[in-house]
Amino acid sequence: MILSSMQDVVFGYGDEAVIENLTLDIYAGQFTAISGPNGAAKSTMLKLMLGLIKPWRGTARFTRVLEDGTKLSVGYVPQQVASFNAGFPSKVIELVRSGRYNRLGWFRRFTARDHEMVERSLKEVGMWEYRNRRIGELSGGQKQRICMARALAQEPHVLILDEPTTGLDAASRADLYRLLSGYVREQGKTVIMVTHSLEEIDPYVDRIVRLERKENGGWQCSVTNSCSAPLSQEA
Amino acid sequence: MAMLGYEFMQRAFIAGGLIGIIGPVLGLFLMLRRQALMADTLSHVSLAGVALGSLMNLNPVLTGFAVAVLGALIIEQLRRVYRTYSEVPVAIMLTSGLAIAVVLMSFSPNLSKSFSAYLFGSIVAVSDTQLRLIAIVAMAGVLFFIGLRRPLYQFAFDEETAFVSGTPVSLLSFMFAVFTGMTVAAAMPIVGVLLVSALIVLPASIALRLASGFLAAAVIAVAVGLCGVFSGLTASYYLNTPPGATIALILLAFLVAAVIVQKLLGIQHRNQKLNQYRRYNAYEKL
Repeated sequence: MILSSMQDVVFGYGDEAVIENLTLDIYAGQFTAISGPNGAAKSTMLKLMLGLIKPWRGTARFTRVLEDGTKLSVGYVPQQVASFNAGFPSKVIELVRSGRYNRLGWFRRFTARDHEMVERSLKEVGMWEYRNRRIGELSGGQKQRICMARALAQEPHVLILDEPTTGLDAASRADLYRLLSGYVREQGKTVIMVTHSLEEIDPYVDRIVRLERKENGGWQCSVTNSCSAPLSQEA
Repeated sequence: MAMLGYEFMQRAFIAGGLIGIIGPVLGLFLMLRRQALMADTLSHVSLAGVALGSLMNLNPVLTGFAVAVLGALIIEQLRRVYRTYSEVPVAIMLTSGLAIAVVLMSFSPNLSKSFSAYLFGSIVAVSDTQLRLIAIVAMAGVLFFIGLRRPLYQFAFDEETAFVSGTPVSLLSFMFAVFTGMTVAAAMPIVGVLLVSALIVLPASIALRLASGFLAAAVIAVAVGLCGVFSGLTASYYLNTPPGATIALILLAFLVAAVIVQKLLGIQHRNQKLNQYRRYNAYEKL
């Protein structure tokens, strides 16, 4: 099933295009990594895919309903520096609980299962002991983890992560890759992740989307099935 | 309390109490959305509505109310245009609102005299229409903030994540803008145009310093808002000072006290930790 489809997309900031003629399909049930150097428009591509920004030209669609008619739920972990509201008066557990809100609706009370999911998510990212801390008191890596826990608590069909390993040490990064890989392989979910650490993540992913700026100007998107594969398969 | 024997004081306490409940909660969300000056701006915009209503022989309370809501919606639209400069729409509307109000007031020299009640607030300025409006706004506010507390939490923390996870961000933005305009217009008779943001922003600033969680922040903001309004109105009655300014000064005193108490508690906590660390080191050496 095609989860997201972008056709001939052009987008830029000011009068400069940063994405040129992008045609790319992302499939459900896969672990897809989006990689590329700084300024290659990785986060911009994610935002176009999610409908957070509109393309100058072309179409960007994101499926909102599964094949069986169920509404697709999406967990999103944006780039930490850009989005984390550190002055927000919230405890860690409050923030992670908010991941369940869309499942519960506006009025339904938390059930034992909801509490269990919140606890499990916090434990999976190693933040259960910090549950009563104010979010503003956490380090960069810990903030990243609780955003991840909030997305996991949502139990989404699709998990979209924008550079989630920023601020994490090597052991924590490996734990995260294993966790995400299990999410795809064992639970049949979809993971799309922007990352710089291609070599580290290569064994876990199904597909790599590489974005880069060419030396002569211009921009290119290629898709491969592994980190070491040649950039032969065009997007 | 002798002052409560007067009907105008009863009205002022009811109106102030209602605004003291919803204003601070609104202020909390405004501050979290980096829109602390929104209330100040809308009060100036509302003044243009009041002037317009007076010139056109309409009820100025209602025109001020309608123009404040319209102003809030325009700011929300401008916010999408100036995504990276969120303070720009606020500045544009603040100057535009005030400029329109001043020009409209110049058309009728008598009008400017009655404006001091709107600018600085007046206990006797709370009319039946205003009291009814304040009651409606307060009821709508309580329903809005309690009923939509979950999506509002997500929306205030991070709009993009909330949008992706399915929260109706556009609808919430619209409702929030309308409600902000309504609250500011309703609070104007109590504290006045120039000080309306004090009642909305100061209790929230205190709550943000003291609260450990979101619910606690809302409760502290409301408690501070109510204390500020009631003590401000009482002081204003006995000292014969303008109510808006008195309430604002009392809230400011609360803020200073909160900062000092927080600093002292911080020092005490640090000393306790230091003593624990010293005791632990001494034990290790043994």
